[in-house]
Amino acid sequence: MSTLIQLILSGILVGSVYALMSIGLTLIFGVLRIVNFAHGEFLMIAMYGAWAFTHLFGLNPYIAAVAIVPAMFLFGAVVYWLVINPALDKPHLVVVFATMALSIFLQNAALMAMTADLRDIPPIFNRSIVIGSIHLKVELLLGFAITLLCTFALQWMIRKTYLGKAIRATVQDGEAAMLMGIPVPRIFLITFAGGSALVGLAACVMVPLFSVFPSVGLNFVLIAFVIVVLGGMGSIEGALIGGICVGVVQSLSSYYVAPAFGQMFFFILFLLVMIFRPNGLLGQQGAATIGMNE
Amino acid sequence: MSAETIPSLSPRRMAWFPTRGRISWFEIALLLIACALVVSGMASSLQDVLLLSFLFGGLALAWNIAGGYAGLISFGHSAFFGVGAYASTILSTRYGITPWIGIWIGALIAAMFGAVLALICARLRGPFFILSTLAFAEVVRIGALNWSSLTGGAEGLSIMPAPSLIGMVFASKAAYAALMLFYLVAVFAITKGLEASRFGYYLFAIRDNEDAAGAAGVNPLLGRTAALALSAALTGIGGSLFAQYFLYLDPTYVISPELSFQFALLPAVGGLGTAIGPVLGSFLITPLSELLRSYLGSSAVGLHLVIYSFGLIVVMLYFPAGLAGALDKLTRRGRPR
Repeated sequence: MSTLIQLILSGILVGSVYALMSIGLTLIFGVLRIVNFAHGEFLMIAMYGAWAFTHLFGLNPYIAAVAIVPAMFLFGAVVYWLVINPALDKPHLVVVFATMALSIFLQNAALMAMTADLRDIPPIFNRSIVIGSIHLKVELLLGFAITLLCTFALQWMIRKTYLGKAIRATVQDGEAAMLMGIPVPRIFLITFAGGSALVGLAACVMVPLFSVFPSVGLNFVLIAFVIVVLGGMGSIEGALIGGICVGVVQSLSSYYVAPAFGQMFFFILFLLVMIFRPNGLLGQQGAATIGMNE
Repeated sequence: MSAETIPSLSPRRMAWFPTRGRISWFEIALLLIACALVVSGMASSLQDVLLLSFLFGGLALAWNIAGGYAGLISFGHSAFFGVGAYASTILSTRYGITPWIGIWIGALIAAMFGAVLALICARLRGPFFILSTLAFAEVVRIGALNWSSLTGGAEGLSIMPAPSLIGMVFASKAAYAALMLFYLVAVFAITKGLEASRFGYYLFAIRDNEDAAGAAGVNPLLGRTAALALSAALTGIGGSLFAQYFLYLDPTYVISPELSFQFALLPAVGGLGTAIGPVLGSFLITPLSELLRSYLGSSAVGLHLVIYSFGLIVVMLYFPAGLAGALDKLTRRGRPR
């Protein structure tokens, strides 16, 4: 019984970290209606950044976030101007292939710069919090807390602030928003760059937990896609729920079946959701069946 | 999806790149050049590049049937490739069934996988479809990796490198090149036949407006399933040929997202929804990436892919109709419309 609780709890914690890295993807999808296939490579770059900070300056990766998050915001803005913006007015496939090519580009640029070696940082806390017979890693608990904080802050921002209202108006009807004086292109830019900044934050949380290597993004982006679709594309609280589902499924199936099948189970879960509830758990009605560029 | 989801060539004047089943002198000239190259007896390393260009040209055409003609953008085609490769290899190494038969069995199994994928994604469009194909291929990949008693697991499978006609293992690369060229021409002919057929028109209708096609009496689910099954079967045949040439199946390569992306990118560069586009794409990209790899590979790992993907971004942003579209525009310049 305590094994089961242990598995579920650590599943929830790992899942919340997965959710943090998926929020940027779902935000960008919700507003721009594009899927960024290079999302995993953004994460990879930010993880290398956090690793480098720790490695070179001996800084704690949580403190490195102060530099990594703005840097990723800038990086997102540059990518938006160079690749995404020119592709937005072209057929929908152009964005798909352009971001796909961008992902290959970044992955191999990283391979050239950093070689294929695995990079780790030394453990920060080196101990677990023990409650009864249950052990929980401090890094995971911290990740969980940051994810919750981030989700609530983002929700508040979207509900209450002027920027959030402008974003919601753009989502509801881009043309009407433009006519009301909302600078829609700038909203797109801010959303894309903001989504990238969130990836930067996720990377700082993940560096103490996972090794970094050039193709690390591919593993994580597939998980992020599953989470985003599970929660409903464009839904922030959906990403949190989706992330926790994926974390728990992975943790249970890798213990009770086999570690190798852990991944397979959540891809099967993903396909089942696509068959029976294609809009995800909290997604917009009909999003999956009308296609996304109307 | 909107009507202009697929950037396609205008059907007005396409002397060089005709659609709707016709064949131009340009295409016949290309075929003759290809045949001449096969028998020219060039250096072995160049023959490698040549036969890979043929093979990937055929695979790109096979992908194009689903992606370009039916609008089913799949990033999971390496699953079908792997199924075909594993099927013929397992049949020949374990059960002594010649690959000449095994290829067809592999194609049949791959077609079944394609039909299953089409049924799973029956209601999905846009990115939801794309992501489901990716997830489907991951399920197949992890399954193949862990069912070691059948697939050899992470060690992969090897084919005896003893040349024999029955075993479809040849000593000369020219023989392989001829085989790959035959595959390319066969898939090209099927594509041309499809363009002129009633089924092809159904696919165009489903791609351009699925709801309208349904209202006009086309069964979208049937069309999508048939297109994906056909595309999967042809991809599976390509997988078997790949296995017969390399004589080794590396599970981390034959079913991988990277390979799936390559199947999709070649037609995208060449021109989606045209018969000649994927061929042009493969003849530009495959030699380029092979040569870049052989010249730069040792000194800078990954540089060839950096250059290659940078080129892709430029092509996608500035020539969204691909090479065929750009050439078509060029050859029509100055002529009255």
